[in-house]
Amino acid sequence: MSTVAEELPAAGADDAGSASLWSKGLYKFRRDRTGMWSLAVVLAYVVIAAGVWLGFWATGWADLAGGKWEPVSAQHWFGTNIIGQDIFDRAIYSTKTSFEVGLVVAVLATVIGAVLGAVAGFFSGSWLDEVILWLMGVLDSIPFLLFVAAIAYTLQGNPYSMHIAMIVTFWITAGRLVRGEVIKLKEMEYVEAGHALGLPEFTIIFRHILPNTSHILLVQATITFVAAIKSEVILSFLGLGVKDGMSWGLMISESSQEVLAGFFNNFLAASALLFGLVMAFNLFSDALQDALDPRTVSES
Amino acid sequence: MRFLFLLTAALLIGCGSNGGPDPELAGLRVYHHSADGAPTSLDPAQSATAYANLVVINAYDTLYSYKYLARPYELKPNLAAAMPEISDDGLVYTVQLKPGTRFIDDPAFPDGKGREVVASDVVYSILRHFDPTVRPQGAWLWQGRVAGLEEWKAAGSDYDRPPDGLRAVDRYTLDIRLEAPYPQLLYTLAMGYSAVVPREAVDYYGREFGLRPVGSGPFRVTSYDTARIVLEPNRNWRWRPVDLAEEGYDPDTQAFTGIAAIDGQTPPFVDRLMISFITDSAARWNSFTKGNEIQYAGVPVELVDRVLASKNPVRLAPKYEARYQVVSDIEAGFVYSAFNMADEDFGYHPDPEQQARNRVLRCAMIRGFDWRRRNDSFYFDLGVVFPGVIPPVVPEFDPDLSLDSVTRDVAGAKRMLAEAGWTADNLPTMTYGSVGGVRSRQFYEQFRAWMMEIGYPREKIVLKQFATFGDLNKQWRESRLPLISAGWGLDYPDAENTLQLFYGPNGAPGSNSSNYNNPEYDVLYEQAAVLLPSPERTRIYRRMNQMLIDDCVAVTGLSRTRIAVWHREVLMYPSANIVGGFFLPFVALAGDNGILERAEPARLTLN
Repeated sequence: MSTVAEELPAAGADDAGSASLWSKGLYKFRRDRTGMWSLAVVLAYVVIAAGVWLGFWATGWADLAGGKWEPVSAQHWFGTNIIGQDIFDRAIYSTKTSFEVGLVVAVLATVIGAVLGAVAGFFSGSWLDEVILWLMGVLDSIPFLLFVAAIAYTLQGNPYSMHIAMIVTFWITAGRLVRGEVIKLKEMEYVEAGHALGLPEFTIIFRHILPNTSHILLVQATITFVAAIKSEVILSFLGLGVKDGMSWGLMISESSQEVLAGFFNNFLAASALLFGLVMAFNLFSDALQDALDPRTVSES
Repeated sequence: MRFLFLLTAALLIGCGSNGGPDPELAGLRVYHHSADGAPTSLDPAQSATAYANLVVINAYDTLYSYKYLARPYELKPNLAAAMPEISDDGLVYTVQLKPGTRFIDDPAFPDGKGREVVASDVVYSILRHFDPTVRPQGAWLWQGRVAGLEEWKAAGSDYDRPPDGLRAVDRYTLDIRLEAPYPQLLYTLAMGYSAVVPREAVDYYGREFGLRPVGSGPFRVTSYDTARIVLEPNRNWRWRPVDLAEEGYDPDTQAFTGIAAIDGQTPPFVDRLMISFITDSAARWNSFTKGNEIQYAGVPVELVDRVLASKNPVRLAPKYEARYQVVSDIEAGFVYSAFNMADEDFGYHPDPEQQARNRVLRCAMIRGFDWRRRNDSFYFDLGVVFPGVIPPVVPEFDPDLSLDSVTRDVAGAKRMLAEAGWTADNLPTMTYGSVGGVRSRQFYEQFRAWMMEIGYPREKIVLKQFATFGDLNKQWRESRLPLISAGWGLDYPDAENTLQLFYGPNGAPGSNSSNYNNPEYDVLYEQAAVLLPSPERTRIYRRMNQMLIDDCVAVTGLSRTRIAVWHREVLMYPSANIVGGFFLPFVALAGDNGILERAEPARLTLN
């Protein structure tokens, strides 16, 4: 954002507003107790996922640590599953899976949505806009699960088929939001100044307009992150998601047979951790949205 | 508001209809069977799976069949008029067909009327296994056995010029001439592979023939998809009164089923036979206990402790005993994992030294496998673990064989790997093929954990999932995976049927998916193949079995105990063994919806 201010004084008013938006947003967010609590929970999950990634804990998620369906004990906090794997380790390990999927999908879907949305918005009404809108419409019209199944089948065992399907689907919302915002922004004076200075169009789009949609993208990324995590769990439950690893969806899928035998540990462990993360991220996302909403920021 | 009311009403009606009987079936006597997998094709030439056999032998005729109730299993004439005449040298079999059997009416025939089944149809049906355009899977049954088949295939598979070894002498007489005695031949003529198909239908439907069965069996298929198949009795079939004594009825072990009620009665006893294919055991159980859906199921492993009052003998808990019948038996078959010996990472290798190291690797992996725990986790702890590939159900089984190869020895496995120079860095990646589903995944995870315990890095045991069992089976048949983890159901009660799984000439895409190729083994196999059951043959079988154990070809094996449950109003004695499904024409229903009103509930008691 500072680059914008240095290069384009004409956009100064907006830059000042933008800087103000972030600082006021931060101020407002810090006063939002729910937001702060949810952020703390999310950070706790981040620490858990990072610890798994670094090999600090849950390293024995694939080991046969005990006997069949052992109850909760000091050794196995959530008991063991039918083949004797420690359910706590597997639930904790699944946090990493969720973050991997959430981050990859949220970042890539948001970036693709931002780029295509910005291009469509800047050239609104042109053939390029028409093509991108058509693409959005087509992808939107395909039922998500069928689409994932088709991609999974096409890629035959590719471990990233689920990621690809989600990215291809989730960028559309970000794209539509950014397109709308860019249509608004491109009429502003600092953009006209950019044209007057002879800046290339793509420089104007990606260096001067797109950064001013970052508050939208940030909020959308958090929403996509949650959607990706939930979708991963659903897809893994259906056998279309994680192939070689562990996930809450796989645990819940495993539990679908165990609950018949009155064994709920897999289900409870996976559901509780999933619920905690999704709830916290939703609240965090809401708080962030409130904090960065230009209308409420200006009021505050 | 009116819209909301209509929507609510529609939803309520929708919910109600899910729980109630299907109005389309009102007044019909329906038996609703289930299977834990679906057939991929109903073409007899491609009926490699138990799921396909279940249907094929009911939609098509085979020359011979199994007696409904005889245990051990016994053959009886089916389409054949009698047991065959066999020449003194055992090389020529003459089979007379029952006249008057007709294929079902179908557009494939002129005027849509099914014609009579004749001896040349049997010839045609077997020859299809030697026609590469059919993509057949059953050639191994007759390859090198029936004279002239290889030459016929090499000459271009001309059906109008059948080989000398397989000849329709006249309309109802079939001659089979063998190159050497083949004691198991009659068993092969009871399998789905040998089911009789009309050439007109094969030509008419082309590649769709696998979806459009046109047979002369006791049932005709009226609809078929991946979820369910519906069959109706073929009213023109050779139905005759049931003679339970002839079918091998044993009152001591079978009276509890109430099937004595069908003695002397003429089937069919049902108007419709539905078979739902439900892979998930929990879903299958839920459907079974719902009451108005499937009437036959297996007991999910997760529920054994709840459903059974005792495991040995198997007895239902009182809550279930009042509603269901149960029968358990050791399967005629086993589960095992065979290494693909054509894979240079695990099997044969051009370098003899590396080949020897590969053998050590296989042996170590076998030692790392924990059959006891596999049995406990997934087979109620009721399965029978045995070394080699001769399962307990056949007479050649050796109860005194050393159990070393099925006894876990982690320290020994590690030592073997270390001595052969295997380390975590140079161990080859093992791609574990599997279908989707919770159970398959658990098998994989358990296997991976055991291999990790003997020193295999986790990332080197890689899961590769396939959408269907058919896709996975295709990979095995094409030798694309290093390990074949499968179950083998005996096609006939003879150890030869399992030993042929490792006979060199049966290599992939034949039944020897492991591509085991040991000339000494093959010679023994050929020697035994012409012998009638005898101590000499048993000795050879056991020696071959020991060779497989010594060469560490397979992680084997376990014969499962099958526990089948069915609703009490269904009168039957089901069996999933051998070709399976040959009990279906005898299934009857007691009670208001059945014809067998004289099957009083008092007779339906457990023994």
